[in-house]
Amino acid sequence: MTLMWLLALLALVPVAVVPLTSVLGRRTGWPVAALFLALAAAMVPAARTVLDGDVVTQSVAWLPALDVNLTLRLDGLGLIFVMIALVIGAAVFAYSAAYLPEGRELGFYLWMTAFAFGMVGLVLADDLVLLFLCWELTSLASFLLIARSGSGGQAASVRTLFMTFIGGITLLIAVALTIVATGTTSLSEALGSTVWDDRPGITAVIAALVAIAGFTKAAQFPFHPWLPDAMAAATPVSAYLHAAAVVKAGIYLMLRFAEAFSDVGVWNAMLISVGLFTAAMGALFAFQQTDLKRLMAYSTVSQLGLITAAIGVGTPKALTAAVIHTIAHALFKSGLFMMVGVVDHAAGTRDTRRLPALRKVMPWSFATMVVGTAAMAGLPPLLGFVSKETILASMLEAPGPAWVGPVALAAAGMGAVLTFAYSAKIVFGSFVDGEREIGDSHGPSAALFIPAALPIWAGLPLAFALGVVDVPVSRAVEAMSGVASYPLHLWHGITPELLVTAAVVAVGALAMTQRKALYRRLERGLLPGTGAEALEYLFGRAGRLGRSLAQMVAYDHPARHVVPALIVLSVLLGAGTIGVLAGGDVPAAQPGLWQPVDWGLLALITLGVIGTSLADSRIAATVYLGGVGIAVTVQLFSLGAPDVGLTQLMVEVLTVLVIMLVLRQLPARIGHPYRTHRRAALTLALTLGAGAAAATWLLTGRRGKSDPAEFYLAEGTEVTGGDNLVNVILVEFRALDTLGELAVLGLAGVAIIAVLRTVRTRTLDPPNRVEVAQLRPQGRLTDPQAELALSDPQSNLLPMQLLLRVLVPALLVLSAVIFWRGHNAPGGGFIAALVASAAVALVYLSRPEDRAVGPRALHVGLIGGGVLIALVTGLIGYADSSFLQPLHGYLGGIHVSTSLLFDVGVYAAVLGLVMAAFDRLGTDRPDDVPAEPAREDA
Amino acid sequence: MSVLPLTVAVLVTGGVYLMCQPSLIRIIFGITLLSHGANLILLAAGVTAWRGEPLTGRGDPADAADPLPMAFVLTAIVITLAVTVFMLALARIGHDDDTHHMPDTGEDHRA
Repeated sequence: MTLMWLLALLALVPVAVVPLTSVLGRRTGWPVAALFLALAAAMVPAARTVLDGDVVTQSVAWLPALDVNLTLRLDGLGLIFVMIALVIGAAVFAYSAAYLPEGRELGFYLWMTAFAFGMVGLVLADDLVLLFLCWELTSLASFLLIARSGSGGQAASVRTLFMTFIGGITLLIAVALTIVATGTTSLSEALGSTVWDDRPGITAVIAALVAIAGFTKAAQFPFHPWLPDAMAAATPVSAYLHAAAVVKAGIYLMLRFAEAFSDVGVWNAMLISVGLFTAAMGALFAFQQTDLKRLMAYSTVSQLGLITAAIGVGTPKALTAAVIHTIAHALFKSGLFMMVGVVDHAAGTRDTRRLPALRKVMPWSFATMVVGTAAMAGLPPLLGFVSKETILASMLEAPGPAWVGPVALAAAGMGAVLTFAYSAKIVFGSFVDGEREIGDSHGPSAALFIPAALPIWAGLPLAFALGVVDVPVSRAVEAMSGVASYPLHLWHGITPELLVTAAVVAVGALAMTQRKALYRRLERGLLPGTGAEALEYLFGRAGRLGRSLAQMVAYDHPARHVVPALIVLSVLLGAGTIGVLAGGDVPAAQPGLWQPVDWGLLALITLGVIGTSLADSRIAATVYLGGVGIAVTVQLFSLGAPDVGLTQLMVEVLTVLVIMLVLRQLPARIGHPYRTHRRAALTLALTLGAGAAAATWLLTGRRGKSDPAEFYLAEGTEVTGGDNLVNVILVEFRALDTLGELAVLGLAGVAIIAVLRTVRTRTLDPPNRVEVAQLRPQGRLTDPQAELALSDPQSNLLPMQLLLRVLVPALLVLSAVIFWRGHNAPGGGFIAALVASAAVALVYLSRPEDRAVGPRALHVGLIGGGVLIALVTGLIGYADSSFLQPLHGYLGGIHVSTSLLFDVGVYAAVLGLVMAAFDRLGTDRPDDVPAEPAREDA
Repeated sequence: MSVLPLTVAVLVTGGVYLMCQPSLIRIIFGITLLSHGANLILLAAGVTAWRGEPLTGRGDPADAADPLPMAFVLTAIVITLAVTVFMLALARIGHDDDTHHMPDTGEDHRA
């Protein structure tokens, strides 16, 4: 199977789990695990090629203009990480099927599979841009996985995102600098470049940036707090995150760049010092924990510190050690995490102080936990022993002055003692110590236990069959250093590292005999606060700073936002007009720009505008506004724009109707602002009006027909087959604009629903709704007919309901005709939809009670469906040449084009918006979601 | 001399005056007037000396108006509808649409 297929199939898994989870629920883990194993098996031919010493590459042009390609490359290093991601992934998914609570668990499977895709993409990427994108994908996936784990996970997920995005930014800078320095986006070419030897300055900067990026993901000091934080996520997430994905992405990055930076001083110094410090610190913190999951998290921090330090040493032996320890860690840590989940399931707690001595009820789990922790502690005869020995041995090869090697070995040895201690604590805490009655604790089910135990037990035979891992590790080290790897052995003879291990076991065992006293001393905070608290403090300070900055421009009153912009606009208009006039050379205006009807309309519009501005009754202002709208409509017709005029007319009608719906809820009169305020507003308004008039007079009407106008008038019909040029511009020439407009319409509809659904149910809801009785005119009605109309709305509406029996079908037919003829005569999707909306409005008005037309799902469906139809039509265009390119054809002798389908999308979106507005603004029906308490209060 | 600049002036003046008022309904009406004005500016850019309908096969092509600004304006009108309806939804929230005196909502809306 080619690399491209592997990645494509992995990209399809998140799509496939959407329907799968609704059928299988949590058992989706089984098919996903099977698929991952199948993919791993399908990689065997490619793996053979790599193990024979070749490299598999595949490339597709992606952004040729920027020389960015979708290049995938599989070498020894990539192979190991791909296999870890797939095989450990399979174990974790199989475990999830039994571990997760019953239910759909879509979010878990969606983001976990996206996670696996990002991880495999990262290690296969041979393009720097692709590498960065996959890096960020793993960050986002881990954020979402932590965030979905309930209220405790939200703050933790934000901290995780913050930490990993620091690394994202440094990696982005490093990638950009590398592309600039080496002149290529290809990762393998860049790493093999001679720039690294020729330009030490930039090399040191890039090395430091890559190291920081690696630190953030691999949870190295001072970025480590996010990993214990991430414990909020479900156990399978942690198992995958710690063993195969995010943190291993950091390790992979450092290993990958080791090829270029192994002899860069900054790189060596940063990785060795930070790595060893983190190893010792993480091990100490791990020993302090009583929650087994947190203990495991700090243990990962510590183990990754060792790997980081080994990468920093950079010799073939050290790189061999780093790779083999990565494999060993992936096996025992994924298994141990899942075993903690098993213990948690069985005993209902994972606190070492409360756990009973489980060894009697769970002998197999006990044995598995012993083997796993022994591997973590580096005891023979396990793969973990081999890898830890090799790391200890490689410390002596650390570059720099002679004292560095022994000091590094001593530091690693200190970490190892603590590692032994916390490994023992896991076993003692969960299986040996504990006074609590075992109670209803029970052994785990096979479905839960087997996937958890397999990775741990795999470490046992591998230690005796080192040949199996020898070749892949060797190829990985060759990929990084060009030299064959250091040979691995279970038994090296009596060496310094073996003596260290012996000392570690002796000291560690002695310490564990005194464990009660040690726990008492250490199971409390050694530092005044935690990293998470420090970060929260920083967030708080940054937030306060931001608020104080925002205070300068944050006003509730909209005019304060608008006025500065309007003043700037009036200055620009005034200065611009004067400037153009002073420059002279203004072309003469075209003759015949005005017609007598314009004067009449100007008079009407002026009256309407004055009325709207001065009316202190909301209804009167609405009537004046409607008058202005009608006058403007006539003006549009007189300018030769029938489509625009029809649209304006329909919009005007619907707008007034919606305004009336809202006015029912508002007081009848508008309060007046202070006199000075009014005078200032009037001054600004007159200035801007004069500026707009001057600019319109000066800048328009002084040329012949524009080139686009000539083109559309001459060629438009020939190109599209439609006579109505405005319509063909909307749905064919400039369909992308229209698509954007549909998005705005859809967003407005969704926003209306969202605003009224969330805010109205809260404290803002008017406590005393305007009752129908209050809407009645003041005083007694003398006319009995009028009295009857108010007291009996049912019979009052009868004439209208009778009328609608004829009118609604007529309007719908009219709407269809207008839609169909739009291509050749005034009409089209917009106008047709507005006509249909008018029918909807009439149906609404004819009802005696406030009831929406059609179900709510229909409104949202129309909006979403409309945008979707338009998008799909756009994609169909690719069949010919490009997005939104219309395809033409004949259906039964009638000319049709896909732009008609696009117009259907327009129609649906407009109709949906209007229906949603009538529903949400015109009904007093309680919202379909009962008043939910604000989430932050919960 | 053309008349449209004056019509634009009236609409912009009314629109800006209303937008500086405290009542949200008035602000919405102001935006409606302002968008009428902006639409007329767009059409004026197409040169109003030719006022024939831009329909192929009808009338004299030499007298036909520029269809491109019309397409812009048609789009603008529908977007104005969307924005207006959304702002009307905002105006419906609360006891009053006065933007100077906010009701006490229990949440800190002053940044």
